[in-house]
Amino acid sequence: MNDVADVLRRLTIEFTEFEGRLEQTPLIRKLTRGRFELADYRAFLVQLRQQVKDGALWMSRAASNVGEDHLELRSALMQHAVVEHRDFTILESDYVATGGALETIRSGEKNVGSEALSAWMFHQASQPDPFGLLGAMWIIEGLGSIKAQEWGRRVKETLGLPDDAVRFLLYHGENDASHIEEFKHMLALVLPDEAVARRIVKTARVTARLYALQIEEILP
Amino acid sequence: MLREGFITGAGAFLPGAPVSNDRMEEHLGRIQGRASLFGKKALRWNGVESRHYAMAPDGSVSHTNADMCARAVERALEQAGLGVGDLSMLAAATTQGDYIVPGHAAMVHAALGAGPLEIASMQSVCGASLMAAKAAWLSVRAGEHDVAAACAGEFSSRWFRPGFYEGTALVDDEGRLRPEADFLRFTLSDGAGAIVIEPRPRPGALKIRFIDIVSLASRFDPCMWAGSTIADRADATTAWSHAGPRAAHAAGAIALLQDFELLKKVIRAWVGVYLEKVEAGRIVPAEVDWALVHYSAKSLRAEIVSLLTDTAGMIPEEKWFSVLREKGNVGAASIWLMLEALLASGRIERGQKVLCVVPESGRALVGFMMLEAV
Repeated sequence: MNDVADVLRRLTIEFTEFEGRLEQTPLIRKLTRGRFELADYRAFLVQLRQQVKDGALWMSRAASNVGEDHLELRSALMQHAVVEHRDFTILESDYVATGGALETIRSGEKNVGSEALSAWMFHQASQPDPFGLLGAMWIIEGLGSIKAQEWGRRVKETLGLPDDAVRFLLYHGENDASHIEEFKHMLALVLPDEAVARRIVKTARVTARLYALQIEEILP
Repeated sequence: MLREGFITGAGAFLPGAPVSNDRMEEHLGRIQGRASLFGKKALRWNGVESRHYAMAPDGSVSHTNADMCARAVERALEQAGLGVGDLSMLAAATTQGDYIVPGHAAMVHAALGAGPLEIASMQSVCGASLMAAKAAWLSVRAGEHDVAAACAGEFSSRWFRPGFYEGTALVDDEGRLRPEADFLRFTLSDGAGAIVIEPRPRPGALKIRFIDIVSLASRFDPCMWAGSTIADRADATTAWSHAGPRAAHAAGAIALLQDFELLKKVIRAWVGVYLEKVEAGRIVPAEVDWALVHYSAKSLRAEIVSLLTDTAGMIPEEKWFSVLREKGNVGAASIWLMLEALLASGRIERGQKVLCVVPESGRALVGFMMLEAV
């Protein structure tokens, strides 16, 4: 019960529960009900920036803690980090394109959920062979491939913004079509292994919970 | 001590002759006399090729919803070797009954003409079928009734006539109906189905192993609904009952509507619930011999299949059985139409397991019923 398909099943359950939890947050409710305001979008971008900026950093740290038995996974994490480590600047230019000041998003403070999420990620990434983070990637990249485009379209429609103010959300959705195949490959590098399987699912659950907390705290 | 419950008969009723895709729009009528731009796409999505309507093009009605249910119950009783006089409990399901009040079960009972009965009305969407089945099954199990029937019927077409939409906010200046309404117009049709449940098996009976119904309504806004406008559907204080029927109709708040974007999320949630059942060992895909899945759109099936394959939750496609293509999507009645057809095909062998899956987009619900041939 610990091969790739079993873990993917448990991860899919975690993701659907996560999605249900997000749907109930005040911010996403406002978005799906067509009541989103520019201030909501800006607050959202500020929190996303913190988390996206940290993303490539914890991934690099995780890569540096992957042992010699898993060099291919180490390469994959490093490549991921390289591809994504400047993505937060897209959020900055999106923010500026909405009429916001660059300085404001750069000096934005992490909310309670973002703090907790970031601390959790770096803590996990600092463990030897931090394979549990595959579960965190499943949640965060799942957002990119499943939710980002939907959110981006709604933001654009509701606020009447130009494309260049919603690039991060729209662009993420386009980018992640082969996401699940790559992810299956990464899982196969560390599975089957009961302890690792449990760790991946647990890390997904905690990450999802803290991510949702970050969204909840944007519009409490 | 609970007894067991067995499905000893199943019945189906479809009104009139089948109506093919090239005749359906003419049958229902064209909105402001114009062909729907969306209709062909909707038909490709839903995969339906033929259906039945209880309303003729001239507006005359061959059967009410309750009539169709009563006929299906009679047929199910006949299959079980019983008559209407043997029935003591009737649970009836529908999305929209003939009247707003009283409940559907009372209307079906009257149409059935049986003596005094215990009845239960279940109003939801497709999942109402399993709610009624569970009520009937549990009353048999509890020893309160020896012959219980669960039926489900839909008379969707009466809401699909052009006059119902024309002059409302759902039709734009160029005479185009909102896709939220048009999709359902090209998807749903009429009919009824029923099962009979008894505490003892007969040859060919199906033992009910479990009926699990899971609502996720607290997660999502309404996904398929009638009674509110598209924009205000999450705010029940603005619903039709507050605006009054005439204003509500003009605002487009009475017609049945479907949100496709939300539907995609709801589908993922259904898959999540199913995979939880697999994870918990409640459903073992490899042990299922027949999968009767009431899916509302063929186009969504491919997406679900790939996700289930990746997660070892897939039941091989050769084990799927459906009558959607030839009998249409009849909402709550569909699962009984499928079960009746599978039983009539004589293909179920003793010991085989039949899994019925009834997702309901209404406000995100999914039901599972596991049967075993005895």
